Amino acid sequence: MSSSHFVPAQWLPKTNWKAAGLLVPSLLLCSAVSAGPRRQEQHFKVAAHPVITIHNPNGLITVKAWTKSEVMVISTPASDRIEVDAEQMGNRVDVSTRELSDSIAPDDMRADFQINVPEDAELQIHNDAGNVSVANVLGDMNVETVAAGVDLEDAAGYLTVKTVGGSFTCMRCAGRIEASSISGNFRLLDLRSYHVWAQTSSGNILFNGEFLPNGTYSLKNYSGVIEVRFSPGDSFDLSATSLKGKVNNEAKLTPSPHQRHFMPRWGNALFGTFNEGRAKIEMTSFDGTINILKRD
Amino acid sequence: MATITCREFLSYLEPWMEGERPPHAQAHVRTCANCSAVVKDLEMIHAEARSWSASEQDAPERVWTSLRAQLEQEGLISEAIPASEGRAQAAPPRTGWFTGLFPRLPRPVLAGGYLAALVAVAFALSGPVNKRVNEARWLKGTQISTSPLSAQLNFAERNSNSYVSRSNPVVAASLHQNLAIVDNYIALCEKSVSEEPQNEVARDYLYEAYQQKADLLTQMTERGENVQ
Repeated sequence: MSSSHFVPAQWLPKTNWKAAGLLVPSLLLCSAVSAGPRRQEQHFKVAAHPVITIHNPNGLITVKAWTKSEVMVISTPASDRIEVDAEQMGNRVDVSTRELSDSIAPDDMRADFQINVPEDAELQIHNDAGNVSVANVLGDMNVETVAAGVDLEDAAGYLTVKTVGGSFTCMRCAGRIEASSISGNFRLLDLRSYHVWAQTSSGNILFNGEFLPNGTYSLKNYSGVIEVRFSPGDSFDLSATSLKGKVNNEAKLTPSPHQRHFMPRWGNALFGTFNEGRAKIEMTSFDGTINILKRD
Repeated sequence: MATITCREFLSYLEPWMEGERPPHAQAHVRTCANCSAVVKDLEMIHAEARSWSASEQDAPERVWTSLRAQLEQEGLISEAIPASEGRAQAAPPRTGWFTGLFPRLPRPVLAGGYLAALVAVAFALSGPVNKRVNEARWLKGTQISTSPLSAQLNFAERNSNSYVSRSNPVVAASLHQNLAIVDNYIALCEKSVSEEPQNEVARDYLYEAYQQKADLLTQMTERGENVQ
């Protein structure tokens, strides 16, 4: 037996007890950290217009554009039973989460990501639950989720978003937007898009953006509220039909000079032109309410 | 006689429906329960449509074009089967858009594509009908086109439920909740259609609800497969 274990207490200075008091919790904290999430940071040099694919079952995915020709992936798995693979194939970076054990609890199948990409990157993201947030990426984007919400800011390109129940918010987006969901709510704010197609069954759709000349805006749901906001300077042809719901309108419409509308035999409908009718807006609902309101 | 696989048989499906039935394809249908069921369903839809309206026996070209574009866009079909995958030794079937259908697809995707195709076919067969037909005929037409579809979807739903029970509870709950929403819409749309059989808006919503259900069941099955 080593005698070093039996150091008399009086040989130790009092300050050492204080140090020991600090050291023990620190060691415990370190051991707890080492058993917890393993943060991993990886960098990939890429050329122009790289493609980044992300497949994750659950977690927060945050993607931001930066000025470097590089993709940085910081991943934080929820447990040591899953692993994040990030690999580069030419100008494509594939990021995916995979389980290391067959008997993994659903809560452990989670990883959070913070990813920086060049602003011209193309993104393909699959994330069932959690949230997806993308900012300042100007390349094409395809996001598919089940319950995860999707937040896009200052995005451009061809944006396609498909959720089952997750909400979708698009702020200051440009380009072409196509979004579909079953129960997710859509908020399309300060848009400058020339093509918007949004369809959700039970969700609400709020469109508060510019109606660009020659732009087409198609908003459709089954129930819920479809709401568009317009300014006095906007110019659009409008068609709004709710089979069993109401259509509320604050726009002073004139009969359309561009096309002849036939009043439908079923439901409540409104057709007309606002100013020169440069953009085309179509809103359709089964038993939801359609509101065409002045912008504040 | 050379035998063919299910994947190879799918490339014979279009000529099959037009009456071209090479012996090796017939042999496959006799021995394969899955392909036999697919053929039976398609023949049933075809036969019902023929009996319903002689002037609208086939889906309009635009519908097939639209369906093809959608399936291509979703990556469910490609133009041609890769040469490495080979073909049966017998004379190749005639080339057409259906020829490249379903190569290299896992079963859930195939099932999803099949369901989507059924929805599209049902939609096509019920859509551009003679405006002079009476309401009972409209209603019957809608029911004829949707009843096999409804049966297929219910069958797929039973399988999907068992799949999805193994996935993340949050995801499973969302899928089930949204499936209930879609089922409710189907019921409401069916009610509307039965009340106003000529209401094309209600019928459009009904078919869209079926399409949504098919998409959702495909997603559920895919997620279940991933969990396995």
